[in-house]
Amino acid sequence: MADENGKVAVQTGLVFPGGSSLSEVERAVPSDEPPPWPLNAELSVVGKPFPRLDGPLKVTGAATYTADVRLPGMLHARVIRSPHPHARVKNIDVTAAERHPAARAVHVLEHMRGGAKLRDPKQETPSKFPIVRYVGQPIAAIAAATPADAEEVMRLVKVDYEVLPFVVDLEEARKPDAPRVFPGATEQPATAGGGGAVPNVPQQGNVRGPTKTGPLGPPRGDVEKGFEEAEITVENTFRTAVQTHSALETHGVVADWKPEVLTVYASTQGTSTVRDELAEVFGLPKGKIRVVTEFMGGGFGSKFGIGNFGVLAVHLSKKASAPVRLMLDRKEEHVNGGNRPSSVQRLRVGAKKDGSLTAIHLTSWGTGGTATGAGAGNVAKNMYACPNILIEESDVFTNAGPAAAFRAPGHPQGAFALEQVIDELAEKLGMDPLALRDKIDIDEDLGGRNVDSAARRMERKIGSQKFDWARRKPAGSDRGPVKRGLGVAQSIWYRFIDLDASCEVRLLRDGTVEVLSAVQDIGTGIRTALAQVVAEELGLQPKDITVRVGDTAFPAGVPSGGSRTTGSITPAARNAAHEVRRRFLADVAASMGARPEALSLKGGKVLLGDDGGRGIPFRSAAAKLKTEQITASRSRAHDYGGFAPGRPGMNMGIGGFGGVQFAEVTVDTETGIIKVERVVAVHDCGRPINPLALESQINGGILQGISYALYENRVLDRRAGVQLNPNFEQYKVLGAREVPAIEVLLLEEYQGRSSTDAGGIGEPATVPTAAALANAVYNATGVRMTELPMTPARVLTALAAARKGAQ
Amino acid sequence: MNRFAWVTPSTIEEAVGALEPGALVKAGGIDLMDLLKEGLIAPQRLVNLRAVEGLDRIEEKDEGLHVGPLVTLARLAANPIVQGRYRALADAAGHAATPQIRNVATVGGNLLQRPRCWYFRSEAFVCKKKGGGRCYAHGGENAYHAIMNNKTCAAVHPSATATALLALGAKLRIAGPTDAREVPLETFFVAPEVDVMRENALGAGEIITEIVIPYPPSEAGSAYLKQGEKESFDWPLAEVAVLLERDGNRCKRAIIVLGAAGPVPVRARTAEAALADKVIDDATARAAAKAAVQGATPLEQNAYKVTIFEAIVRRTILAARGNTA
Amino acid sequence: MSNDGQNHADRRSLREKDDDEDGSDVALPGASLRLSRRRFLAGTGLTAATTAVLEACKPAAVGGAGGKGAEVAGPGQVPVTLQVNGKERTVSLEPRATLAEVLRTDLGMTGTKVVCDRGACSACTVWLDGTPVCSCMTFAMDAVGRAITTVEGLSSGGALHPVQQAFVEHDAAQCGFCTPGMVMSCAALLQRNPRPTLDDVRTATSGNLCRCGTYPKVFEATLAAARRGSGGSSGAKGS
Repeated sequence: MADENGKVAVQTGLVFPGGSSLSEVERAVPSDEPPPWPLNAELSVVGKPFPRLDGPLKVTGAATYTADVRLPGMLHARVIRSPHPHARVKNIDVTAAERHPAARAVHVLEHMRGGAKLRDPKQETPSKFPIVRYVGQPIAAIAAATPADAEEVMRLVKVDYEVLPFVVDLEEARKPDAPRVFPGATEQPATAGGGGAVPNVPQQGNVRGPTKTGPLGPPRGDVEKGFEEAEITVENTFRTAVQTHSALETHGVVADWKPEVLTVYASTQGTSTVRDELAEVFGLPKGKIRVVTEFMGGGFGSKFGIGNFGVLAVHLSKKASAPVRLMLDRKEEHVNGGNRPSSVQRLRVGAKKDGSLTAIHLTSWGTGGTATGAGAGNVAKNMYACPNILIEESDVFTNAGPAAAFRAPGHPQGAFALEQVIDELAEKLGMDPLALRDKIDIDEDLGGRNVDSAARRMERKIGSQKFDWARRKPAGSDRGPVKRGLGVAQSIWYRFIDLDASCEVRLLRDGTVEVLSAVQDIGTGIRTALAQVVAEELGLQPKDITVRVGDTAFPAGVPSGGSRTTGSITPAARNAAHEVRRRFLADVAASMGARPEALSLKGGKVLLGDDGGRGIPFRSAAAKLKTEQITASRSRAHDYGGFAPGRPGMNMGIGGFGGVQFAEVTVDTETGIIKVERVVAVHDCGRPINPLALESQINGGILQGISYALYENRVLDRRAGVQLNPNFEQYKVLGAREVPAIEVLLLEEYQGRSSTDAGGIGEPATVPTAAALANAVYNATGVRMTELPMTPARVLTALAAARKGAQ
Repeated sequence: MNRFAWVTPSTIEEAVGALEPGALVKAGGIDLMDLLKEGLIAPQRLVNLRAVEGLDRIEEKDEGLHVGPLVTLARLAANPIVQGRYRALADAAGHAATPQIRNVATVGGNLLQRPRCWYFRSEAFVCKKKGGGRCYAHGGENAYHAIMNNKTCAAVHPSATATALLALGAKLRIAGPTDAREVPLETFFVAPEVDVMRENALGAGEIITEIVIPYPPSEAGSAYLKQGEKESFDWPLAEVAVLLERDGNRCKRAIIVLGAAGPVPVRARTAEAALADKVIDDATARAAAKAAVQGATPLEQNAYKVTIFEAIVRRTILAARGNTA
Repeated sequence: MSNDGQNHADRRSLREKDDDEDGSDVALPGASLRLSRRRFLAGTGLTAATTAVLEACKPAAVGGAGGKGAEVAGPGQVPVTLQVNGKERTVSLEPRATLAEVLRTDLGMTGTKVVCDRGACSACTVWLDGTPVCSCMTFAMDAVGRAITTVEGLSSGGALHPVQQAFVEHDAAQCGFCTPGMVMSCAALLQRNPRPTLDDVRTATSGNLCRCGTYPKVFEATLAAARRGSGGSSGAKGS
């Protein structure tokens, strides 16, 4: 059945504030999926703003996060961590710890999970314990009756270290004679929890790379030739700092090992990835593991795997035969919870006088500590049309905590460089930055399916009107000490679709409708989106739907990363609801002596034909069910219409997401303080399901972007390898007084790709912010900021250098 | 955090009596809590002053403004008398830390809190302040450190109220095992060259019982400005308090104090002299600001703070002019 | 803690040899690790409002010793009665316990979140006698005899506090982990200032960290609650 595709007519194109550009196409739709909905304007629940269903639980403190889980007899665990950035563990003495009356279990970590590994482990002198490669690396863990007891017991574990030379500074680490983080070439294998680097990349010392790529895999064209053809070349070097995710709920679990089932309450973005990794580590069948994430206090890309802490907690629970709570503290979270790698990017762009690009060459280095993932080249690779593109990216290992995926990995860094260089190019060409982008941001490769270019074109147009871009003055033209500037930058993100996305929808005889899925709500509001989708299909309101998510006991859910949750799981929910609807109407029709096709569901009623909306209330109709419940579990097909993944082995569909942000800043040239006054953000994410939650998430992307641009910087002491700001006092995150006026404009972008045609927004919303700010700062001052964060120190230094240069 | 006993005296005498070796005084307890959680102190007992009568009063009488050491920063900032004649103090108290902290932290504790230097606060570094041999900020990460008097220890003094109180000419009343004494704030702080392990001259077993700020002269005004990287919770890159005594347009006398500049609050006497007898305008304020930062000895990463101080000194002088009664 | 004297040495603090005063070289961790506990503690004796040279590691005197009549409790467990959301709750705690720990662990009231654990994020905000404070920086002993209001006590009789209601309607919670603290800050603001400006709301929340970036909706919700007239005495038992 699923293979039989029926053709349906679908409206595609954009609906935007004040207009639309739509056309009709034919889509082949799998026969077990309903045809795509009409435009949001014709729907009653989807596309309308709804407060999230779990709001009352969150505002009253009743929502239970992993940090709040309390089980009978639960023990408290602490992790023993290395104070040294590089060391060999000679001996671990746990006898005193074990003897402590409150101690219930001690476990020494056998293998380090996460980060890079030696390709050939024999290159390192064999060691009984994992080699320590950063301060804070876990060594062992203990469990005790109370948190205070656990702290005492933890201090009784004695570890002997042989201290080794180390390096934490990127530039130092690149030197040929730098201490080696790994004594040989490395690989970073993917686990069920994610990660994974391109294999067989050359490595010299601490520098792994370069990998050389272009837009669709290998480098495109010949950049040298492209620069020869160029009439104008712009080149600059950009630097960005390490940013920590700083989710408010730290990584952690409550592990409850029982002979019949292992239950792990985890603060995770992927209940299924955590279960799969637990199965891998403990050799258990997946059916004997249950992972629960009822509420989750933020992850931003860092929370997919079980982590060393999770492995330790499960071991402790097994040994103690009791549930064990292990939540990282704030310091551990900064040091061990992952981070966005730093970058140094040398970017060179060549163009003709008409603006068309002839060459893009990016050479980047970055450090993700002991992990790979510091590439920053995707924006330069994918944003603009250019016949010659060479991206060379290298990871530089340092003795620092391993990086993890962080909201649009590599992209805020890459946009910071590329979007400034494009602005510089526009200035040299005497073109408006938007006009240049209109020229070069075009669908080059994909025969009309490069929908993000089309979206951005419209976003530039309506955003520039809303923002009043026309008032932008030449760079540095304000006279006073506080200068105002306007800037713009663009986003690019991709359509990741996970076929492991399923939902079960149940209709009970009392009218109850339930949606069940292992998918977790990490704060994006997927609970509410699922309720809307099911409500739309069944003619109900979101509040009529009970959504139960975040439990692997339910059908497989998609891990929430890559902005793929909504795009992946809402079609599954609709497909399941559609099947329930079909069977429900069949039952009801029989009882009414009508044909099912004559029935419809609307406004909480079952309507018969065009009976003027009288119908039967949904509940009364449900009472006529032949069985106690109708239930259907469905997943989803690949995207329709040629939008299915274009590259083997990847879940990345064709045609991404755009996004354009405009920023207005003031720069106090006497203090170097940058204040962001206003941001206009125009975004697309397919069919919007809940504009209210989308707006919240876009606000969040922008604010994280501002925080990244102006404040955040993990500071390590180069002589000790110790983080100096593992807190929220000196690790500076934007607060209430730094929030600008934000105006969000949403496009509705329809392609008829799936039964909901929805997409995600988490990542696109944070990609362009730092770049837009930097362009605005340039417009204010006439001075380019090439380093993040743009602190007063850097602003004042750049202004002073510019004054000196001008003399 | 170690275990300790909790002592609740009801009089100053009882409090002083309870201060046996190993005991620490607790007022608001904010900095104490922080140091305890970081494992930087391990007292055997905390002597809680919150039940001692009369330590939380704000009164204008006798010599001027009398402020009890247990007055919270929030109360100080919101007090109409303080907001009026002692404006610099209100603004300093009102811009410290966070609203929640200001509701608990006391002015006494604010004066006596320990520096926020990240080497001092990290258990990984035994710096001079902790009995070690080195200031790790030297040659280390010192973007937020002292730009003046930073040769021995480069931590900046963390107290916002100290900056303002010094400009306002405050003195402290102190009780202890021997006779009560009175110390001008001017001589209360201890430079690292004198004793790097402490920031002030409070002796063993002593307790601040009152802060007295003299009535400002007529035609005087004060101001306090803080510049952080953020306006939401952040420590200052620069903070300045100014008291201006005027004679018409002219400056009769100025007191200019720089906080977050050195290990103890810095009187900018050259700047004060530069303003004396001058008409206070943008040009003279600018000249005074330049004088204030002359002789600064920034470290590798904090020369920018000198530029910021120059701007903030000028702005605070002009703000004080504006605040003149 | 009885073994406290060894802790810092165990944690391998980075320091130079005492005689290394020239600053020419930096000791690597592990090179010279013994910390003079006594000297170190002596240096920290200026905390709060006094100095006191510490005799490290002596077991603390329990009751009686010194103090001339001052009441001494602990260092072991002390029974205390806390007034939480209008109800008396008797718990046994050590004087070192923070209010946040007691609420979350002893009383099982996990609405109050601990995030930074150092007063820098205000996620743990509760009210003491109606005033918002960080419960992670408050000794539970200091809350004795004062009315403690937590996020669980803000709504009354099943009805949300107007600020909570506005938070829900305006989508002022994403992951929701900062939300209890945020709600407590904003509700306290309206209690003392029923007609706040946007700037007042920003100031009231300037210590509340939200990593999801929900501030615009928090501002919107709080101003909406104010317009609806939520100030005065509504909600909040025991304040």
